[in-house]
Amino acid sequence: METVRTQDIGINDLNWKIEYNQERCTMCGSCVASCTFNAIEPAMSRRSITVSKGAQPDPKHKQITIPVIKQKASLADACVGCGMCEKVCPNNAIRPVRNEDTRKTLLSRDNGPIKRGGRTNLNAQRTFDSIVVGRISQMTDPSLDSQRHTFDIRAPFGRVLSPHELPFNLKNGKLSLAKKTPPVNWIYPLIFSDMSIGALSTRAWESVAMATAYLNEKCGLPVRMSSGEGGMPVKLMESESLQYMILQIASGHFGWNRIIQAMPKMKVDPAGVLIKIGQGAKPGDGGLLPAAKVAEHVQAIRGVPKATLSSPPNHQGLYSIEESVQKMHLSLNAAFGFRVPVAIKCAASATSVSVYNNLLRDPYKICGGFFLDGIQGGTGAANEISLDHTGHPVVSKLRECYLAAVKQGLQGQIPLYAGGGIGMTGNAAADAFKMICLGANGVFCGKLLIQLLGCVGNEHGRCNACNTGKCPTGICTQDPRLVKRLDVDRGAQKIVDYVLAFDQELRKLMAPIGNSSLPVGRSDALVSTDKSIADKLGIQYVC
Amino acid sequence: MFKIDTLQGHERMSTQDLLLAIGEAVANGETDFDIVASGQHDIGGPLWHPEGKKLKFHVTNAGQRVGSMCLDNTEIIVDESASADVGWLNAGGKITIKGDAGDTAGHCSAGGKIYIGGRAGTRSGSLMKHDPLYDEPELWILKNVGSFSFEFMGGGRAVVCGVDCEEFTSVLGDRACVGMVGGVVYFRGKANGYASDIKLLDLEADDIAFLEGGLDSFLTSIERPELHDILADWSQWQKLRPLSFEEHQPKPKPDFKDFRLNDWVKGGIFSDVAMDDFDVKSTVVTGLYRQRIPSWDNAKYAAPCEFNCPAGIPSQRRYDLIREGKLEEAYKLVLDYTPFPGSVCGSVCPNLCMEGCTRATIDEAVQIGELGFSSVYAKIDPPTIKTGKKIAVIGGGVAGLSAAWQLARKGHLVTVYDDAAKMGGKLEQVIPRGRLSQELLQTELQRIVDMGVNFESSCTVDAAKFNEIKKQYDAVVVATGGHNPRFFPWEGADKLVKGLYFLKAVNRGETPKIGKHVIVIGCGNSGMDTAVGAYQMGAETVTCIDVQKPAAFKKEITHVEELGGRLIWPFMTAKITDDGLYDGNGNFIPGDMVIVSIGEAPILDYLPQNQIKKFRDWIVAKKDQSVMDGVFAAGDVIKPGRLVDAIGAGINAANSAAAYALGEPIIPLVTKEQIPAQRITKEYFEKCHHCDLPEASQDHARCISCGTCRDCRMCIESCPEKAISRSEAEDSTFEYVSDPDKCIGCGICAGICPCGIWSLKPNDEPIKMYRTYNKN
Repeated sequence: METVRTQDIGINDLNWKIEYNQERCTMCGSCVASCTFNAIEPAMSRRSITVSKGAQPDPKHKQITIPVIKQKASLADACVGCGMCEKVCPNNAIRPVRNEDTRKTLLSRDNGPIKRGGRTNLNAQRTFDSIVVGRISQMTDPSLDSQRHTFDIRAPFGRVLSPHELPFNLKNGKLSLAKKTPPVNWIYPLIFSDMSIGALSTRAWESVAMATAYLNEKCGLPVRMSSGEGGMPVKLMESESLQYMILQIASGHFGWNRIIQAMPKMKVDPAGVLIKIGQGAKPGDGGLLPAAKVAEHVQAIRGVPKATLSSPPNHQGLYSIEESVQKMHLSLNAAFGFRVPVAIKCAASATSVSVYNNLLRDPYKICGGFFLDGIQGGTGAANEISLDHTGHPVVSKLRECYLAAVKQGLQGQIPLYAGGGIGMTGNAAADAFKMICLGANGVFCGKLLIQLLGCVGNEHGRCNACNTGKCPTGICTQDPRLVKRLDVDRGAQKIVDYVLAFDQELRKLMAPIGNSSLPVGRSDALVSTDKSIADKLGIQYVC
Repeated sequence: MFKIDTLQGHERMSTQDLLLAIGEAVANGETDFDIVASGQHDIGGPLWHPEGKKLKFHVTNAGQRVGSMCLDNTEIIVDESASADVGWLNAGGKITIKGDAGDTAGHCSAGGKIYIGGRAGTRSGSLMKHDPLYDEPELWILKNVGSFSFEFMGGGRAVVCGVDCEEFTSVLGDRACVGMVGGVVYFRGKANGYASDIKLLDLEADDIAFLEGGLDSFLTSIERPELHDILADWSQWQKLRPLSFEEHQPKPKPDFKDFRLNDWVKGGIFSDVAMDDFDVKSTVVTGLYRQRIPSWDNAKYAAPCEFNCPAGIPSQRRYDLIREGKLEEAYKLVLDYTPFPGSVCGSVCPNLCMEGCTRATIDEAVQIGELGFSSVYAKIDPPTIKTGKKIAVIGGGVAGLSAAWQLARKGHLVTVYDDAAKMGGKLEQVIPRGRLSQELLQTELQRIVDMGVNFESSCTVDAAKFNEIKKQYDAVVVATGGHNPRFFPWEGADKLVKGLYFLKAVNRGETPKIGKHVIVIGCGNSGMDTAVGAYQMGAETVTCIDVQKPAAFKKEITHVEELGGRLIWPFMTAKITDDGLYDGNGNFIPGDMVIVSIGEAPILDYLPQNQIKKFRDWIVAKKDQSVMDGVFAAGDVIKPGRLVDAIGAGINAANSAAAYALGEPIIPLVTKEQIPAQRITKEYFEKCHHCDLPEASQDHARCISCGTCRDCRMCIESCPEKAISRSEAEDSTFEYVSDPDKCIGCGICAGICPCGIWSLKPNDEPIKMYRTYNKN
């Protein structure tokens, strides 16, 4: 006789149900040992049966008690669907199954708003998927050979002056610069973006950094990585690899003490500085690092004790666009002797065009890039309400910013970079290409990278436990027991392989439209099967 | 000879007309053609003589694709230069262009020979192939080719002789051989800018043989035989050929581990703050890296029976001993906690132990109360060690005797004072004999005496006597109980008969006066005892009333009801008359005698009133149960309670008094936490039918042994890593140990443990990985 009350939490109230086949189970314990969420447990299962074998009722009773693996009916220990159990099971006896009748979201607010990592689960619809590269060179002009042609796949990072603004002097038939021009680095149009030390484990962060260096040094791709708002490893700052790094400064200014302290020891300049005003996953919120992840090294690099670290939603000293340009851009340009381009990143917003226009008007020409982060960006930790209900799709906003510049004849002067969901369906090259055709100089992506490292999270509610410190893959945790599950070499290799394929795939799209350099703004190359998207973006509608 | 001039005045013959005319001539058996063309395309193929004879074309001013799709046995000679696509898809013809060829000469040719006596344009030789059923195609060019030549070449041989090319940096133009997968390109002179996956090689003997074999024919065809000697200097030649499929496998990129160790920051970029050997752990690990570890928490928690018993009797241990066949030990064990297993546990105790019993959630509680009877005659030896300390216990009831028992067992000299003639307090004086056998009680009282406790009965302790005792003894326990019946000042309260006195009289063997229709105020157990006593003394009807739901045990209520008694509640007594009882609302219960039985207050007049603290009628004790220096209280003097509460209080008072007497610090006895129900694995235990209940002393099979290891070895057998072993000490106590080097922290031991001994807890053994800085 069981004593269950209707308001007790049941397995069916959880997002994931464990499908378990007792007959296949060897009771090896691997699934339970692997589960970081404590979502399953061994238990005994009683089978009490009365049978009759004779020709008339002849009750024979038997009881057998069998060991089984059971899911815990607990919100705190709820299965997140990471599937480590399924992965380790030698006999395919166990796996998590998505539960469409879940009541978990409804019931999980005992400790205030729900927090999680990952991407938006509600706004995963994709503009890109109704856009195709529809303008193919077919007898009109020769298409290129993607494999054998020479392509120039580089994007500017830094303020590009228009020709008439270039301060050239002509002397004895030779041109020379009359004064310093803003620094511009020509980089690969795919930036590894903004995942902080703290959000990521040391191994995960290092793996991304290592892949960056490898792509530069062994593959000739000038890929750049943004540090995120958690400071920089001192050893990296003292090495030549600093040149691949874009240092981020956000509202919390975390880690900048060690960056400044390292300046005298820097052998090379960093690739750039990125001022983060906001991010697409949780616009209006500052960074959030739950205490569970504030390990000793994070405390040290950031200069704070163990605590949940919430960055303010605003830079404390900035009250207007103009001020942000003048103060933040100026200070960070000055920090590296005006040699290092400084860009700014905002969450895409209904107001983005105003911001971009304002940056374009800046008379000092010290804004080296405008990064727009869309609603589909990932994060290590955020309030779910922010993830799912705030933000702005990036595609049309990027397009609007680009067209605003075109209208003023200023396109290309402040490079546009777009991110937020790049590669969400697996093919980042297609997304990047379409974004570039719409006016972006390049794209940035983060979630994709950790997925390549082994992250199993997705925008259909799988895992997304980056905020808990229990990341089963050792990526978004600082628990040494979990961090050491991650193979830095394999992870970095996977990123490198992906980017090399990305490079080839980008060519596969550039070739048929006949562009051997990045087709920035070549929206004629795109068509949409969705009339409203076509109208909004100003591209051909096709059906 | 088919001779045709395609220009007649201003009329130019169309390609279609020319080709149809040629076709017709071939069909008619013509073999020799002299064609004065005017740019017509596709002259020369695909044509074949009906009798297989050779077709010879001499063409001037040919248009594009001269010699396209030529079959074997076709020979075409163009005296001067030709336009683009010479020999396009040539399948076997011999095509000679004595001058230059336009772009894409030999494009897609897969047979025959093409001789160019000058230069050839861009993309020449592209997509040449070799069909193994036919001879491989040859493309000979006297001078050079334009850029992008031999793109995607798949077979055949191209020969670029490099004559008259001094001004060029490459006789093959730029980006030759891109996408080339087969065939070979021989060239004389310089070549560069060709694709990176093409091998540049020196000629070998068979290459030279091929070139030597073909050179004369080529030079003769283009009418430049004088160049033979210059061209036959093979030292000036090289060849390009694509990597074979096997050679073409992508070069393995540098291994990442090598990159990390050789090209990356030594030790890793976090080596100042994170110590990491980059060793990779699997998700299933033993030892330090386990997420969780098992813990054998034997007897860490109290079983529900133990926890709920105020005396803390661990009955699960009694049943474990019985299961092990250690009956005597089992029966003696209870005596560590109470001297009254028969009188209290077995007879009058409500058995709180059974109320919480886990087994009760399966079928019925294990019969712990009755088990007490098995210990009535259990004997234990008096202590061999004597402390020499003298401790007095005032009050020979359950609390006092419990304290005395404990103290005597610790080797103290104990004297119990009681004003009654017989020891036993309420057990002796108040509890009806029907509920508690006199023989049982006397047996258990005798056991206390046998333990060395000195009984001073019929000794009234007043203030003077107390002072005397206080001086004589090293410590005193006060346990005089409650003997002052309580009642409220209802109207007519003077008519009340006190239930306590009534029961005492009955137990003394007297026959106290009783009414015909008796009303008992109070439906607790003593109220029920009173009602039963009233019937025994001759009452015809007994009505018991209470202000609340009756607190008496169901068994006692049933007994009264079986005798004909009625229970009425809630009833708020307001007035007592000679006729009965009234409440405030005028309700009336008739009766000629009203007995009050709502509890008793202690009589504390023998204690120095200025030294004790009281709350209402009761004495206030400190945490260690002391009420004065060296005086400790237990039982109903502190607050009214059950008999078993008095036993528990006696244990605690004894503990404090003993420590005091020895001059040691008083350490209160700790109560274990009750085992959380979810730790118990009830699934093993089959529900038992009531009629199948065994004797209480045989109930060990049903006892789960909550929180105490029943030594069933399920864990040893179930552990997938065989990590658990059992070790036994000389005193036959045992221990289960999980080997951390084998255990993976799966928790199967915890999940399957029937008794809730194994638990799985987070592995909080620190792994030193991070630090704030490292100056080295």
